[in-house]
Amino acid sequence: MSVVVTGMGIFSSIAPNLTDFLDALKSGRANYSIKMVTYGSEEMPVVGSFLEAFDFKEQLNSRQSIPAVLKEKALNAGRRAPTAIQASILAAMEAWIQARLSEHVAAEDSVSVIVAGNNLTNDYIAQMHRTYGDRPEYLPPRFILHSMDTDQVGTLSEIFSIRGEGLTTGGASASGNVALIKAFQLIKAGESDIALVVGPISELSPMIFQGFDKISALGGTGFIENPALACRPFDSGHEGFIPGQSSACLILESRLSAQARGVAPLAAMLSGKSCLDANRQANPAMEGQIRVMKEALRGAEIDAGKINYINAHGTSTPLGDETELRSIQAIFGSGKTGPWINSTKGLTGHCLYSAGVVEAVTTILQMQNGFIHPNLNLVNPVDDDCMLVGSQAKPAQIRYSLSNSFGFGGINTSVIFAGAGVNGTL
Amino acid sequence: MDKSEVFDVIRDNIEEVLPRVTREQIRMDGSLVDLGANSIDRMEVVTFSMEDLGIKVPLQSLAKVDNLAGLVDLFHKHLHESA
Repeated sequence: MSVVVTGMGIFSSIAPNLTDFLDALKSGRANYSIKMVTYGSEEMPVVGSFLEAFDFKEQLNSRQSIPAVLKEKALNAGRRAPTAIQASILAAMEAWIQARLSEHVAAEDSVSVIVAGNNLTNDYIAQMHRTYGDRPEYLPPRFILHSMDTDQVGTLSEIFSIRGEGLTTGGASASGNVALIKAFQLIKAGESDIALVVGPISELSPMIFQGFDKISALGGTGFIENPALACRPFDSGHEGFIPGQSSACLILESRLSAQARGVAPLAAMLSGKSCLDANRQANPAMEGQIRVMKEALRGAEIDAGKINYINAHGTSTPLGDETELRSIQAIFGSGKTGPWINSTKGLTGHCLYSAGVVEAVTTILQMQNGFIHPNLNLVNPVDDDCMLVGSQAKPAQIRYSLSNSFGFGGINTSVIFAGAGVNGTL
Repeated sequence: MDKSEVFDVIRDNIEEVLPRVTREQIRMDGSLVDLGANSIDRMEVVTFSMEDLGIKVPLQSLAKVDNLAGLVDLFHKHLHESA
């Protein structure tokens, strides 16, 4: 049972929809700013790509193609929901309509929803604690629903009438890829025909920002005067990850289901693999990264030489960036014969739970449109002996692509896509 | 604050929690269940109204309330006790 992609959607700090997002990728447009985060007596400036405040109803109304009934359900379910839920609904809605699922009534129990990430609500809980900690009588009763990660699953299932499996996938920064891999497995196993895979925006509480800062994982301290320069994957001036907020959605579907519905695939997902390092720490390890990329190639039944583009994990973290490039070179070789490499995090920031889904959408947009987006702020590469894209987009016909995501706790993941025009895959 | 003003606060919150309900449908002799409110919706209306009125009503006292008039009476009584 081969698996194809039939819909994509995005609602991001750099663009509110796919069309604008594609434009941002081509032109290298980013949106970095500084937010003051207060935790107790500590006040720290955080550089990030933050989603600006938006009016959920206006966003829904600005999208012409949403059928009235679906728009009404989205408004009812989302109008008083936390921002992260509203952003997920907007990304999912775009994908749902692109996949033409709004026209076609699929068997409801053959559709699943998988939401990437866990601890998605820590900032919502922190906000509620600040507001109601000293007057608990007024804590809104719906708090307990919104405090759970499964609120994302339940809300999306209600709007889109989904009655198959529903779950969240925890995999730290690899959560997005873990969600794609679980959806891939569900469809391969014949358990679902269609899976709505949603990567929610990361809303970090002040305490979590403080925690990341305590282990020096956050970058940006050297770029407070110029936040646009802070996120620089693979550049020797990288300091640590720069948080970003994008919600993204990918609809995976069995090839037979897409054919039966008469929907042309956007790409094929050939494989997805996940493996551990037997390590609870935050450090990356070449052995696990190499193993998971090799396993993904084996699952896709293609040689390493076929991959001509890698969407790297590339978080703008010194140890992470260097380790990943060495792992890539160990499999794909070095010099000018290797695949093109870029990191979407340069443009979007590190979207944490949703990163894998955001980067899958980015990968497929580049495959569809024949280009590779720039590596923002790449001036002095940490390694000259690989095909890192510079500060301008490059034209390229990508046939096979690989996208990496690695997470704290030694979680390694890789997914492989083939373009819609690649023979034998669609 | 008189009872009709307490009722106005409750009606505002019913409109917020139940957007399909029109103001005219909200009657003193009706109940939140009649208006289509589930258990969480009902507690939202009660909690938001308590917050707006600045009163804290023990939840067990709500058990005896079976229509909106009863809720208005209960809130009105607490308003005057806390004043």
